[in-house]
Amino acid sequence: MSPTTWGWLVLLFPLLGTITIGLGFRTYSRAAGVIGTAAIGLAFVCAVGALIALLGRAGTHREVVSSLWSYDVSAGVDARLQILVDPISVFMMLVVTGVSTLIHLYSTAYMRSDEGYSRYFAYLNYFVLSMLILVLGGNFVMLIIGWAFVGAASYLLISFWYRRTTATGAGIKAFVINVLGDVGLVLGTFFIFRHTHTVSFLGSFAATPHVFHTDSTDLVAGCLLFLVGAFAKSAQVPLHTWLPDAMEGPTPVSSLIHAATMVTAGVYLIVRLHPLFQLAPTAGEVGAIIGCLTLLIAGTIALVVTDIKRVIAYSTMSQIGYMIMGASAGAYSAALFHLMTHAFFKALLFMAAGSIIGAMAGNQSLDRMSGFRRAMPFTFGCFLVGGLALSGIPPFSGWLSKDAIIAYVNNRGGIYEVLGILGYLGALLTGLYTFRMIFRAFFGEPSPEARELEHGHIAHAEVPTNPATGEEEDMEVGFPGPEHVIAEREPAMKIAMGLLALLAIVGGFIQLPGVSHVITTFLGSSLADAPLASAAHEPSNGTAWIGLIIGAVIGLVGITLAYSVYVRRPGTAARFQAALPWLHRFLVNKWYFDELIDVLVVRPALAIGRFVETVLERIVIAGGVTGGVTAAVRSGSAAVRRAQTGVLRLYAAAVILGLSAVVLYFLISST
Amino acid sequence: MSSLILATAHVKGPHIDWAELSPIVVLAVGAIVVLLAGLAGQAQLRRRVIPVLSLVTLAGAVGTEIWRFPHAQTIVAGALRMDDLGLIVDLVCAVSAAAAVLLSLRAEAPREAGHGEFHGLLLFSVMGMAVLISAQDLITLFIGLELLSIPLYVLCASEYRREGSLESGLKYLIIGSVGSATLVYGLAMIYGATGQTGFDQIARVLAGGGANGTLLGDPLLLSGIALVVVGFAFKASVAPFHQWTPDVYEGAPTPITAFMATATKAAALAVFLRFFDVAVISEQTTWAPALATLATATMLIGNVGALGQTSLKRLLGYSGVAQAGYMLSGVVVGTRLGVSSTVFYIVAYLLMNLAAFAVVQHQEAASGDDRIGGLSGLGRRSPALAWSITIAMLALAGVPGTVGFIGKFRLIDALVNGGYGWLAIVLVVGAMISLGYYLRVVAAVWMSPEGVGAATGPTLPGNVAPVAGGSPELDRLPYPEVVAVGVVFAAATIFFGVIPGPLFHFASHAGAALTGLF
Repeated sequence: MSPTTWGWLVLLFPLLGTITIGLGFRTYSRAAGVIGTAAIGLAFVCAVGALIALLGRAGTHREVVSSLWSYDVSAGVDARLQILVDPISVFMMLVVTGVSTLIHLYSTAYMRSDEGYSRYFAYLNYFVLSMLILVLGGNFVMLIIGWAFVGAASYLLISFWYRRTTATGAGIKAFVINVLGDVGLVLGTFFIFRHTHTVSFLGSFAATPHVFHTDSTDLVAGCLLFLVGAFAKSAQVPLHTWLPDAMEGPTPVSSLIHAATMVTAGVYLIVRLHPLFQLAPTAGEVGAIIGCLTLLIAGTIALVVTDIKRVIAYSTMSQIGYMIMGASAGAYSAALFHLMTHAFFKALLFMAAGSIIGAMAGNQSLDRMSGFRRAMPFTFGCFLVGGLALSGIPPFSGWLSKDAIIAYVNNRGGIYEVLGILGYLGALLTGLYTFRMIFRAFFGEPSPEARELEHGHIAHAEVPTNPATGEEEDMEVGFPGPEHVIAEREPAMKIAMGLLALLAIVGGFIQLPGVSHVITTFLGSSLADAPLASAAHEPSNGTAWIGLIIGAVIGLVGITLAYSVYVRRPGTAARFQAALPWLHRFLVNKWYFDELIDVLVVRPALAIGRFVETVLERIVIAGGVTGGVTAAVRSGSAAVRRAQTGVLRLYAAAVILGLSAVVLYFLISST
Repeated sequence: MSSLILATAHVKGPHIDWAELSPIVVLAVGAIVVLLAGLAGQAQLRRRVIPVLSLVTLAGAVGTEIWRFPHAQTIVAGALRMDDLGLIVDLVCAVSAAAAVLLSLRAEAPREAGHGEFHGLLLFSVMGMAVLISAQDLITLFIGLELLSIPLYVLCASEYRREGSLESGLKYLIIGSVGSATLVYGLAMIYGATGQTGFDQIARVLAGGGANGTLLGDPLLLSGIALVVVGFAFKASVAPFHQWTPDVYEGAPTPITAFMATATKAAALAVFLRFFDVAVISEQTTWAPALATLATATMLIGNVGALGQTSLKRLLGYSGVAQAGYMLSGVVVGTRLGVSSTVFYIVAYLLMNLAAFAVVQHQEAASGDDRIGGLSGLGRRSPALAWSITIAMLALAGVPGTVGFIGKFRLIDALVNGGYGWLAIVLVVGAMISLGYYLRVVAAVWMSPEGVGAATGPTLPGNVAPVAGGSPELDRLPYPEVVAVGVVFAAATIFFGVIPGPLFHFASHAGAALTGLF
């Protein structure tokens, strides 16, 4: 079968899964989980099929386009249902379907006692479908559709427990910021379309060198607007505030959407549109600077947050900062490499966190967790593997991929060298906050919940409450149900976490400087047209190894710092806090970004809104325009109905009048 | 049959290409057979066999139409032109009639009027449409129009024990006669001015090929065109000649209403297309503003008038007026794009309306009236029908993902390209107003009847049948054929809304059929 046939099949199975589960969600109970997992599993199998089919083709023929049908052709836009199967999309497909399958598997156990079990799997399948449309789409229209769909899926899943006010608020926030990104993407497409006159990717890319020169105004504007889209979806400063709040969703959702797949869509976007970004170095610099800023800001906030899921969320922001920085600088294969390893270890970390949260009866605060090492050996092992990979310790996968990005960025010189060095600072922070989390949750005196678990019981709260607000939970819409689950007792969770742990350990070896270069070779044919991806810009093996060693040392220093602060001399953290209260306040308030947005955007908007409401709306619009229009329509409706007397004579009169008017018009226009 | 052909062959007359004429012949023969079958003694036999015979006839018509497609030929000494425009609209009429037959299987009307008469008249009306659509000559045009109309006058009154049905038939007859008289007067004037009855000859005369020079701007000709506009406007229910529409639609038996709303309108618009875009295309600068004004009035009056209606059939009547305005605007531009957009919309309109009328038929059969409020709780009683009418309403309003959206989009495209941007704006404003009444129907469908649910509580399994106002009829299962009509056409509405390509291709044949356009 051709690669595109496999590609369509990859889309088909999640679609079928969504429809089957969605239509019958009242009738299935357990079956929804099986159907959902199987659908995504089959999609993964087909993605592998696409990979094999693509590898069977010569290197220069690995971009295959297929259209099912054209929706409409108007004003030069040929809106086709079209997919593009090339190394980039196959790579993304494999990551998305692979990780999704494992997370679906994990969810079958984790969400078992939730009342919305079937609804959950329908949403989750829908998300995978949307994400696959996003990565497989062969033109800007499909990209925009997928982009908007994942935003909707993310909203549905963040607000999954819709009786929680915090969850609905978080969902709305995420949706609004994502829509801002959608607008950026659509407007950016217009800037490109104006010049290339086609919406298809390959057509646009082929035309780009002819219609744009380096740093053409419209090209830079288009790329910057694409970056707005990427920043919103990938939670980059200043459009990042939705991601920590998105942790209100179920933990597997955080693992899949807000760590492994959706939030990396921005990175995919830059890599996919690399022929455009190649010609707009200014936009590339903006992207790299924002990525670097994000990775630092998120790293510092992660040092002080006490909600375990939010710590991981900030860590996600920070890691995506690396990817955005790398992709903007031109390290496409390194960015995608990090995207893949990050998907493994970050999904793993979230799953392990979900297991602890289960043991804590739903509580997510690090302040209350302690000493789970003995009670939950498997979870501890997985969390440790994920943490080591995240901190970039050899030989774990994150070490190879993150340092590949930094080495490339350093190698580009100029402003990028500064960004690379700041990247190392970020690596120090990463080691510190990751092991702060590990040492606080797993080491020290066992907390009451850990003790209970050591005696074979999972703790249960008397009355389930929302940890964020303390309000009582509505059990009809879950909060993972009245039962809590931990990985130690659930084979499905164990399998999913075990496989991811394995991948987090060995996943990096496919790209080892001087030894193996699977990813660079595979992506090579897609990136052949990118000068920045040529060998001239890649760091030499020696430089790469020096970078790896520096990265490893910095990661270890971070861990050692964390060890001395949180294990050897507990209380140091409190002393810091007392000594520098302003810094702590600054970080706990997340650099005041929410407040900043509040002051800069929300409040002025509200003030304008109030003004408009009192002055314009009440008097002009409601009184004049709306009132006038509705009154006109109403009275028109009344007039038409009054004319409709049912009396034949009057109808005939109307006919004569109309007839006379028409004849009169024609006679007047005669010569 | 063959002896008939042989017999006519001896008569000295114009050459007739029977293969080309086959759709009309099939309908004529079928109608006569159905009428004769109506004489059969056994009522059971009549009730069972005649609908089957009409369906077979219609299937034969559809078959021959597909057989001749794509094609273009002028036959019977220039009286008829069988081309893709005609074939497509014939197809629409035949499908609409088939749906009407299905909807009337267990309805009151055929029983009252007699099965043979009811179905025979229906088939004759379809035949009249086929003649009208293909008419290439003023005389044929008038014959087609009358053959279409007269059976309909009777069909409207076919439930003759019901006052509303009789009133509907009488009103239609009187107003329709005024329309026909106007039309025939107009045709006579055009003949007087040009000395020709064939469309092509008239076009040639107008283009300056006549003996006495150009006739452009001739008062006699223009008065004729004005009267023809009015005559057609009656049939297409274009404002201000629409007033019979809501009354007649409400009173007529629902299957007949469905047939009139879709097939008659399709035929009337097709003849609009052919007459204005072939015969008098040279006068476009004169008639286009007039038609544009009429279209504007129609869109506004139809949409505004529908707002306060409580009867579903009246609402659909006004909605049909508004939709006629949309389609008429495709005639105004006088380009191939305009023709194909109009034809696309005619097909779309057929799909959307039949899905809606199936639900109206069920509603009337179940509760005896067609109040919009009576639909409440339909979502629980019959999800299939509830979805059908929901899709139909959303499509009529032009919600994306349905064929109604694509249809309006193409019309707007054609209008903007043809230099009638302002008419496109009117169309959009009309569609905006229309949401006000279409969505009311959707809301009624999905709202529970009051009181149900409060007593049972929300946690019961969803399949518990509600007791709707103590009336057992409301809970009766809908007839399968009615559900089938609703579901099939609703599914087609969605299908062609998502994959419009094939339908476009089909409609663009119609645009290409009128060779005088660009």
